[in-house]
Formats: sequence, C-alpha cells, structure tokens
Amino acid sequence: MGVLRPLRARHDEPVVAEPDDLVGALLRRAGRGDQSAFGELYDELAPMVHGVVLKVVRDPAMSEEVTQEVFVELWRLAARFDGTKGSARSWAATLAHRRAIDRVRSEQASRDRQDRDAQRAVTPHDVVVAEVESTLDVARVRRALAQLSDLQREAVELAYFGGHTYREVAVLLGVAEGTVKSRIRDGLIRLRDELGGEA
Amino acid sequence: MSDIDVHHLAAAYALDALDPRERAAFEAHYEGCDVCRTDVLEFRETMAQVAGSLSTPPPLSLKDRVMADVAVTRQLSPALAAPVPAPSRRQGPSWALLAAAAVVVVALIAGVVAFNGGSDDDPFNDELAAVLEQTDSRMIELDNQSDIDGMFKVAWSPSMGKAVLMGEDLPVAPDGKAYELWLISGDQSMAMYILDPADDGQVHRTLPTPAEPTAWAITMEPEEGSAVATGDIMFISEV
Repeated sequence: MGVLRPLRARHDEPVVAEPDDLVGALLRRAGRGDQSAFGELYDELAPMVHGVVLKVVRDPAMSEEVTQEVFVELWRLAARFDGTKGSARSWAATLAHRRAIDRVRSEQASRDRQDRDAQRAVTPHDVVVAEVESTLDVARVRRALAQLSDLQREAVELAYFGGHTYREVAVLLGVAEGTVKSRIRDGLIRLRDELGGEA
Repeated sequence: MSDIDVHHLAAAYALDALDPRERAAFEAHYEGCDVCRTDVLEFRETMAQVAGSLSTPPPLSLKDRVMADVAVTRQLSPALAAPVPAPSRRQGPSWALLAAAAVVVVALIAGVVAFNGGSDDDPFNDELAAVLEQTDSRMIELDNQSDIDGMFKVAWSPSMGKAVLMGEDLPVAPDGKAYELWLISGDQSMAMYILDPADDGQVHRTLPTPAEPTAWAITMEPEEGSAVATGDIMFISEV
C-alpha cells in the first residue's frame, strides 16, 4: 500500500501547483463525496485499470473482482490523493498494479498449497483486447519498449507483467540478483527517457 | 542495507518487485531522499503510460457493481487532518519512532496475556459490543503495508480505556516469530501485545489502552516479544 502513507506525508513542503487535469479534478471532487464525479472518473480510468489488472492477473473473472476492489479503494482514499506525489492517473495505475500483484501472489500461495494449477483452464484473455483506447499511445509505448535491450525488456516485463519480485526474476533467468536489479533500473531509465515523465 | 543499495531499488520498487523487507527498508528511506523520490515519481508516471497502453474496457456491468459499492462505502478523511505533524517527527511513526520508543511497557505484555486468559470467542464478542456501544468508540482498519494477506481492525473507547483487536485471514507467523501490536501515542510507542493467529487465521483480543492512541501498528517480532520494535512495519494506521 505504498500509495497510502498519510503518516509520512511531508507537510513541510509547499504544495506544488498541479496541472488541472481532468482526472485529478474528478478525483478531488470524488474525495468530497461526489459520486457522479466518481462515475466520470471511473469512465476515464476503468480501461487502464482493468487493462493492467488483466495483464497481471490474466483470469477475466478474477480480474473483474480486482478492478472492482481498486475502484472502491480509490473512492475510499480519494481525499488522500496527493498531487505532489504524482498524477492521479499514475496513482490509479500504481494502486491497480499493486492490487493485481497482491492477488496473484496470494493466489500463487494457495495454488502452491493445493497444487491445482494444472487444472486451471487456459484463459483466452488476449482476444479481449479490443477497443484499445488510443492506438497512438499503444504504438508509442511499443516503440519505447523496443528501445530496451532484450535483456532489459525481459526483466521489466517479468517483474511488471509477471508479478515477480526481482529476486524471483533472477531465479527465472538464472542470473545474479544484482544483474536483474541493474537491468530493471537501466530498462526503466531508458523507458522514462523515451516516454517522458508526463502521463 | 547501505544507502547505496537502497538508492538502487527505486526502479524495482516502482514495479512492485521488492520483497516485503526490502520494500519496508526502501519506503523508510525514499521519502527523505530527493533522488529516490524523484525516481519513483517519474518511474510511476512512465509505468502509468505503459498501463495506459494495455487499456481494456471492463464489462459494462462492472460500473454498476462499483457504484453500488461506492454508495455504501465510507471515505477516509484527508491525511492533513491527522494530528501527526510535530516538528520532531514530521515523518510520522516510521521506523525511527518505533525504534526510539521512549516508553516501553514490557510489563503490559504479561499483564494483557493474563487479562485475556483463555481465548474464548464469546467473552470477546461481549467486550467488542461493550466498546462499540460507547459514544466515543472508534474503529479503524490498519493499512496492510506487507506482502502477506490478512487484515487487522482495532476498535477502542478512550472513556473505557479499552481496545479490541481483530485480525482475519492472517498466515501463521514463521517459526520463532509472532505478530506484535504497538500503540503509538505522541512520540511514544508501546508494546501492547504479542499475538499468534489461531489456525483459522483469526485474532481476537481485548486489551487496555494505557494512553490515547495516535496510531496503531503491527510488526513481526521474536515470539517472546520485543520491548522495542525490531521488525518491519506490516500494518499501520493513524487515528
């Protein structure tokens, strides 16, 4: 729950003027209990949140549950959104990924116990990828990912999409932990430089 | 873990790719480190774009379910309303605070254990009802900052000087370890209780509150209990 750290809020810092983006404005209205603003926020964010959850969790039914959890949590926490710690969109993406990871790790734990992994039907989730919000964005991200070396991309994808810790990625790839840490770091720096920081 | 090591965790942190111990170490470090804070912020914005490229609309019916939940879900108050920021501890009851606990109520642990005696559920429910009936009662769910499943809620009443702790879906602590509850009051953190979930992952405990809590926290400690927290913060919430 890294996004929720009210105890460590830095009240000594001036509030940085935020770009008055639509999503941030809706989130602040939602934080004051405005359910219709939250409905609009849902419309803005649901494809991204569900997309990242589905990519990590893969099972469509379970992904819907997680997406629902994420939005209820966004509602619950809306008043604690802190624009100095990033955009509303990135806050939602962070929360969505965190919840998706929580779900796959707890599922993994229960699967490890029950050893019923093999019985799970393969979910044809990839065919669902219709109606992508903006094909331009997709192309831009794809181009940026292509700028990473194969080793960097592999490490970043295993961690972000696969939901593995970097130590687990190291085991999966049979390389040293420090090597994976460097590949992830170098990969993200390159990705950041390609995409720029702005959402 | 040295500072240099910690600095290099920003990228893995932004991908949620740290194990719980490293994550706690990094979180304790990065808010006070300009380099890491900027890195995390930028990496998260970057990954939000990657997330955006994955966009897939959920089924239309999901919105109705979300909005139905929202209609019956209470929102948290803004963080600024928290009575936390005193100059000497503006980062809240983080590590330093717990570790530097000025008042250590070791005896309390023994006292509370004796107080609880058996762990029958019925008396607990009565105790819980008694606390919740008080007009000044409060109940909060602690934020889970760990990678384990589970949930803790604390209800308490200042006028009664009593609190009840409820835990659910908790994994059994590793061998030789136990969960420990901390009451943070101002700049003091007090060792409140050592607990071990029953086989069903539940914890039900009643305990006295020797001071007005400003936050509650759970750490993992050696099973005999610690007077000063040594484990990472797993669950925490301000009051």
